[in-house]
Amino acid sequence: MRVPRSIAITGLRSFVGKRVLRRVREAEPEVQVHGIDLQRPYGLDPAVRFHAVDLADPTSDGRLAELLQKEGVEAVLHAAFRSQPRADLEADHELETIGSLHLLHACAAARVRRLVLASSTMLYGPRPDNPNFLTEDHPLRGHPAAHNVANRVEVEELVATWRERHQGVEVTVLRPCWVMGPGYQDSVTSYFARSVVPTVMGYDPLLQFVHEEDCLRAFEIALLEGRPGVFNVVGRGVLPLSTLLRTAGKRPLPIPAPLLYRLGDQFSQVQTGDPPAGFYDYLRYLWVADGERGWAAFGEPEYTTLEAWMSFVSSRRMRRYR
Amino acid sequence: MDPEDARPEGEADAVSGALDGLRRELRLRLDAAENAVAERVGSVDLFEVFEKLRRAAGTFGMEERSGEVDEFGLDPVALARARRVLEWLCERWWRVETAGLAEVPRDEPVLFVANHSGLLPYDGLVIAHVVERETGRRPRFLVADWLVTLPFAQPWLAQVGGVRACRENAHRLLRRGHSVIAFPEGAKGAAKVFADRYRLQRFGRGGVVRVALEAGVPLVPVSVVGAEEAHPILFKMHSVARAVGLPFLPVTPTFPWLGPAGLVPLPSKWRIRFGAPIATDRLGSAAADDEVLISRMTEELRAEIQSMVDADRRARSGVFGA
Repeated sequence: MRVPRSIAITGLRSFVGKRVLRRVREAEPEVQVHGIDLQRPYGLDPAVRFHAVDLADPTSDGRLAELLQKEGVEAVLHAAFRSQPRADLEADHELETIGSLHLLHACAAARVRRLVLASSTMLYGPRPDNPNFLTEDHPLRGHPAAHNVANRVEVEELVATWRERHQGVEVTVLRPCWVMGPGYQDSVTSYFARSVVPTVMGYDPLLQFVHEEDCLRAFEIALLEGRPGVFNVVGRGVLPLSTLLRTAGKRPLPIPAPLLYRLGDQFSQVQTGDPPAGFYDYLRYLWVADGERGWAAFGEPEYTTLEAWMSFVSSRRMRRYR
Repeated sequence: MDPEDARPEGEADAVSGALDGLRRELRLRLDAAENAVAERVGSVDLFEVFEKLRRAAGTFGMEERSGEVDEFGLDPVALARARRVLEWLCERWWRVETAGLAEVPRDEPVLFVANHSGLLPYDGLVIAHVVERETGRRPRFLVADWLVTLPFAQPWLAQVGGVRACRENAHRLLRRGHSVIAFPEGAKGAAKVFADRYRLQRFGRGGVVRVALEAGVPLVPVSVVGAEEAHPILFKMHSVARAVGLPFLPVTPTFPWLGPAGLVPLPSKWRIRFGAPIATDRLGSAAADDEVLISRMTEELRAEIQSMVDADRRARSGVFGA
């Protein structure tokens, strides 16, 4: 199977879902696309068949299986994940973990031939004992305080066992690092968008970014051409946090770790839009991923870490002046 | 669909044009920052002094660095600054004498294996410095977990070439053509009390020899005499160490009595001897699975370094000798 005749995308309102849909429509207009989400997104392409399904609903697997089979869907992109963790841990768990389980059941029942999962290198977890470059074979240790990361680790485990049981299916797991670019928005970009950025005092970790277009290109190739396997999707190069902030003209606000963690926890509890406590470990310990396998499969990224960061910074600056 | 996301026809041109623009902007910014610093040094202006202080407060614990670092975080600008201090420490403070440097292979990466001593990784820094002075290529030194994630030490160690000690990192460095300095005794060696000085501890679990066999690089035994007396540990306070979250808290003649000044090492006389390289490539990669061979080689290596240390200790006239 080269290009599938019919594909389904879950999480149409997520960044990956929305933008991969647009890329697929441009690249392969003949492919019938089925969109799955809670509500119909505003301004959806009329050629896309929309199905309102709540993945967390216990009967959704049966409905999805019926739907996928009836429409002859050959490839599925699963991107129904939250970009901002919510304080409602239960609801997030139901949607991300249990919702993925329902989708996997439906894919098995409908004999889908290709499955692409949107994951993240955040799942490796920021640990003091990480090697400088994490390969795809490194265990996913997540972060004990970040429930959204824990959910996604569970999803990856579910997909790994599912792949064992369904050998004939091309399963691609894409793990992008922090995405930067003019259009991308999540809790990380809102953290970096401030002019004064709180950091962990005494730490200056190496960070890597991937540009949104490079990230989306990997998803498009995996969905339309098929690249079974697990891949880190990252940009070339690493830079220390201090250099990133300096090139962007932002000011770091170093706060001692215990105080910062406690404050971060309080602020995220009352939902001020601040990142949760676990987030600051990602600015303390190394969790840089090795991109060699991904670059070999999806081609050289167009943007390095620094270029992705500068494209994010300059686009935010334009927005402020407009 | 919102109009700002609509894509123009000549997209490739636009992307490459934007990339060029980014690069240009970046270069301008870095140049401007450098010039601003250079100009400020010249004149004395109260406002500028205040501005400088404010900036310094903003980057407290995050030293100013150059715009580019290598993939392990080594910063050429910070290194050049550190080199001057190291040169002074080597020549004036410890009056380091070296032997056997001429035999160190120059055109291939090697794995230096040294005895560990002193609380802070001065031995790694000094070995790296003398090797770089002789061969022109700077080896990286491996650092224990607890030190590499210690606040304020973490950014600085990475800048001058310290890398967390683990198999993946050692392999990556050797593959990239960097020589590596390893201290297989680990924290056991660094935290020996004075009564146990120059008595080499167990060499971990043979990981050093295994890495050399797998990578096919020569092992170079290195003995350091004098570093034990730079920070003689009288005894260790375990209960206090546990309370502040350190693996051990030493008591030396100067620390903690003199506060931070107690961290200044004593000016003992150092002798560093490089032994004959041990070739591992002719053993073949199958040898890396031979546990008995590995443990025997590890023990031989330890015995050799021990005998080198003993010989140099007998030869010296006194701890602070001329």
